[in-house]
This record gives sequence, structure tokens and C-alpha cells, in this order.
Amino acid sequence: MKSLPTRNSKLALHRAGFASVPAMLDYAAEGETGVTFYNAKGEQLSALPWSDVRQRAHVVARKLIGAGFARGERILITADTWPGFFDSFFGAQYAGLLPVPVSIPVGIGGKEAYLDQLRRQLDASGAVAAFGLDDLAGYLGEAAKEFPGVRLHGGMDVLHELPEKPVDLRPLGVDDLCYIQFSSGSTRHPHGVQITQRALMANLAGMTGPAGLDVVVGDRAVSWLPLYHDMGLIGFLMAPLSAQLSIDYMTPRDFARRPMQWLNLMSRNRGTISYSPSFGYDLAVRRGAAQVPADLDLKSWRHAGIGGDMVRADVLERFASTFEGAGFNSKAFIPSYGMAEVCLAITFSPHGTGVRTDTVDRTTLAEAQRAVPAADPADDRQARRFVLCGRVLPGHQLEVRGADGEVLADREVGRIFVAGPSIMPGYFGEPEASQEVLSADGWLDTGDLGYTLAGEIVVTGRAKDLIIVNGRNVWPQDIEWAIEAKRLTKNGDAAAFSIDTGEGERVVVAVLARVSGEEARLALARDVAGAVREAIAVDCDVALVPPTVGLPTTSSGKLSRARTKANYLAGLYASASPSLKPAAA
Amino acid sequence: MIVENDGIADTLELRRGSTLARGEVMGEICHHLSPFQVGEKPIAGDTVIAKDLTIDSLAIMDMVMELEDRFDVSIPMNVVAEIHTVDQLADTILKLHARR
Repeated sequence: MKSLPTRNSKLALHRAGFASVPAMLDYAAEGETGVTFYNAKGEQLSALPWSDVRQRAHVVARKLIGAGFARGERILITADTWPGFFDSFFGAQYAGLLPVPVSIPVGIGGKEAYLDQLRRQLDASGAVAAFGLDDLAGYLGEAAKEFPGVRLHGGMDVLHELPEKPVDLRPLGVDDLCYIQFSSGSTRHPHGVQITQRALMANLAGMTGPAGLDVVVGDRAVSWLPLYHDMGLIGFLMAPLSAQLSIDYMTPRDFARRPMQWLNLMSRNRGTISYSPSFGYDLAVRRGAAQVPADLDLKSWRHAGIGGDMVRADVLERFASTFEGAGFNSKAFIPSYGMAEVCLAITFSPHGTGVRTDTVDRTTLAEAQRAVPAADPADDRQARRFVLCGRVLPGHQLEVRGADGEVLADREVGRIFVAGPSIMPGYFGEPEASQEVLSADGWLDTGDLGYTLAGEIVVTGRAKDLIIVNGRNVWPQDIEWAIEAKRLTKNGDAAAFSIDTGEGERVVVAVLARVSGEEARLALARDVAGAVREAIAVDCDVALVPPTVGLPTTSSGKLSRARTKANYLAGLYASASPSLKPAAA
Repeated sequence: MIVENDGIADTLELRRGSTLARGEVMGEICHHLSPFQVGEKPIAGDTVIAKDLTIDSLAIMDMVMELEDRFDVSIPMNVVAEIHTVDQLADTILKLHARR
């Protein structure tokens, strides 16, 4: 099969500046570029020029309108990387409906947790239909049972079997919402970010413009990022579409299995732009270093972006040295910072500088919240290295504020706030949760901690207890709840947090051990780790806390995860779990 | 609604003469899982993979992938999500192999 061209033969490259997603697709459809899907072996599965994407979306839109769905209603879509997602997502855009992209199940034994997630997302979005991969049709049906408002659900055949009626399209416009992004809030209480067409267009302009990736003719995007995540959907579908680029996709599942296929795709198709959280670069090194193909050529890769988790300089340095021989240029790295609440991007490192770090003193950072340059940067016990993530996008503002809301000086650590045209109007149907993070004058509390350095942001951690493992956001409440659900502990007897291992985050669960005897203690630790792995597909260390010591609580009697973590790091709780082996290299 | 029809699958399998022995599949699974065994308790059919062993989620995915390659089957994600024990994993592979 022929791959789609990188350049359009006649159509001029327009970088963003469109009114809406339908308008972007209308323009891109005048050229020959488009999206191509690859499997784990690197074989092409299908290729859809943007003109086909648009054509198919129009058909789906007429079916959806014909089926009586009203403008503004929500449609849940399992966002695996496959043409069906494009049909339903863009079909909804032309039908005036709002897509709600959701994840697919992870790992073995994950059925119940997945159904639970689907039910919560159906509830939070008030979806009237749910479409997905044929394999997941049964799950959608099962989850939808409790929701009489879901009028249609199943695999793509259910959508395609609807009659196509001769109705007018009713595309979403500049004043409309675009879709609902679930990537914020715990799975128990999911928050759906309202992505508006206007904010999305503003963010795309920033991303593709000179302060962002400065997209040019000849660029080609390659991605394995999940389309249910803002970095995958906005960064590697909306952004390339807004500049009429071709995109080569593989699924996140296939990437995790065969990470070298990501680099092979870059090499074969002369990709120029690709992103990954740090863990993806790490995976490529760990699984790929031993078998770098002789003909791998990464010279065309001009923007190797990093986002979605804490940017890790050591990981990126290892990647660069591993693939230097294949032509990878370490100056191509672009550390970036963003979140779904601003659509996606808020800062980009400048081009051509690669990863720049600031090494600060750990003690002053922890105790005085100040980022003071370390006396001896080579001393890992006293020095901590952070990556500079660049300046805020044009037209936006960023401030680091102290506990009383005052704007802090450089090197003083506080909460990061942002404002500007990319900011969400709020979470769908949740005015209270929205008010907690959005001020009346339009500032968003990101919940992240960091400091500024000559106009650039350095992110140091999260104010919230959020845990990020392998690029996945995990809420400690979900972990604790999974343990309680198995009746291994009572409510409030488990506290989940993550520790920075220098290589990534490691999840630790501290549980009150109301059992005696070494065997029973080990069994409890194993059961807790097993319950977490089964329900959340996350590996954890278990620390057993004697009931006499107890878990720390806040003044209002709530469990304090931050203090539990501090106690753990201070060595107050012995780690009881047999240390888990690292993933097979 | 999906109607399981193992009778037909079995017949086809016999005609093709490529019967995959259960023991072979179990052996392969146990081979992958043995590094993650806890204590003296042997890995058996009723071992709950994610719970009774020290295997992590990435290694589980690796194992599933290698089993898929080894027996030339592809386990759909909804089926994977319903597998808990070694027996269930083996039976799934046998069933899919028979349908090839």
C-alpha cells in the first residue's frame, strides 16, 4: 500500500486560524495528505486521506441527525486508534453533537473496573449514545443498562446500519463546544473538561505557531499516543490536522509491545514531529537499545516533544545517546508543559536548545520552598535536577503564586496559575468543581507546583495528590478504594502516594496492618498489591503500618497522604512487600 | 448475542489436524510465570495471575504478547479483561487456536 504524501501538491499550508474543527477538516480535505494506521509489525492497516475522513464523517453525521439526536447531545466513543474513532468523532462534529472520547480496558482481569469507569463517564456526560470497537460492544451495552438515556449503543455496525437521511449537516461552529475531555479528576468522580472550539483554535494557533512547534511544509507527524488523552487527541490529531499534515499512527498497546516500531515509523516515513511522555523514551531505550536496526535513520526528527508527565533529563539523555548513532539530534528535544484544562499546551521550550536543566539544593527546596542552585550539582543526595519547560504561549499569562496569592519571584516555589484564550470554561455540568480551579477573572489554578526562571517555568511537582505512572494519571483515592473494595482494609486504613525514584514515580500504599505473624503480614501486602494491580493496572510497593502507629490525619480528621509520604520517606514504616522486579527489559 | 459453538470449532480443528495440547499451553504459561512465583506455592490452574504472583502489569502484557505470537492467536481486549486465572488464559488460547 502506498503511504500518504507528506506534502500537498497544490494546497497551501495554513497554520491553524480556522473557526472550528469542521472548518479545519474542510480545508485539509482539499489536499492529498491524511492519516495512516499501522500495526505492531509496522504493516499498514489502512490509509485515509483527509478528504476520505471528511466524506465518511458526512455520512455518519447524516445518519446521526437522521436518527433524531439533537444538537449539543453527547456521544461516548471508545477512543482506540482506528478509523471508527475518526468516523464517529468527526461525524459528531458535522452533526452538531459532542464526542466524549473514553479509554479502552487495560490489562488482564480489568473488566469490572472498566465497566465502572464507563458508567461514571456515561453519568457525568449524560451521553445519549455510546459507540466503540466491536470487541467492546458488549461492555458498552452492559454499562448502558443503568442509563435509559443512552438510546443507541454498540460497535460501529450499529452506527453504520442507521439509514442515511437527506438532511442538512449542522456542523459545530466557533461559538460551540468541541468535545468533552475526560482526563481530569479521579475515575470515581471524573471531571469532563469542556473543550470549546474557540479555545481549541487558540491553543492550536499557539502550538503550530513560532512559539510552539513552528510547523512548516514538509512536516509529518508520527504518534502512538492514546486518542482518549489530550496529548494524543489535540496534540496528534487536531494540531496536525490544523496544519494539513499527514499523520502515521500506531496504537498505544502496540507501542508498549513493540516500542521500536515507533522509531521505525519515524525513520521509514521521514517523520519530523513526535511526542511522548518521558516513560515512552525510556521504554524505547530499555526495549530497543539491544536491537537498533542498522538502517534506522532518525535525522528527519526535528521536534521530539516531551509532555504528559514530569520531564526527566536522565531518561532523555539515555535516549539521545542510544540513538545518536541512528542520527537522533538531542537538540530536537522540546520539553513542554500543559494540561487538558488549557486544551493541551501552555509552554514550549525554545527550538534547537534541547533539554536544559536547573540543579537545585534538595533541602532548601523541601524546607523553604526555594529553588537555590546546588553547591555541588553532582551530589545526588543534596542536588535535584529539574527541566526548564519554556515560556508561556503568546497571548497567555503564567504566574507562580504563594500561599496568600502573591506572585512569587524567580526561584520561589509556589502554585502555577495560567490565564488566556486556551483556558476551559469549566468542567461539564460541575459548576462547583469548576469554581475550585477557575477564578472569576479567568485564572486557572493548575494544581501544579513550580518556579520561574527568567520567564520560563520549571515544574517541580503537583500540589494535588495525583500520581502519574507511565503517563497515566492515577488518583490515590482510586487505589485506596480498590483495596477497600476487596475488604482488605477499612475505609481510611490505606494511603496511596508516589515517590520519585529518580527514574520515574513509584506507587507506595501504606496500609494499617491489623494482622500479626510474618506470614499474615506478607499475605496482606501481596493481596493489597494484587488488588491494586487488578483494579487499576498499577504496580505498587506496600508499607505495613502497625495500628499502634496509625496513619496521620489532617486537623479535620481526613487522611493526610502528604504526611504519610513524609513518614514513609523518613523510614517510619518498613516496606513489607517483596520488592517487585522491574518490568522485563 | 454471541452464541459459543465449540462443537463446530472442534470439528474444524480435527479436520485440520493441528490439535494443540492443553499441556503445551500450560507449560508455556508456567514458563513465563515461574520467575514471579511467590514462596513454595506452585503455579497452578487456579493461580490468579495479577494477584497471586509478583508479576507487574507490563510483564503481564509482555507475556500475553509472547503467547499470542507463540500460538498464533490474537486475544481480543474484552476477552483479556475477563481473564483472571492461569486456567482461563490457557482455555482462551486453546479456543482461539482451534478457531483459526
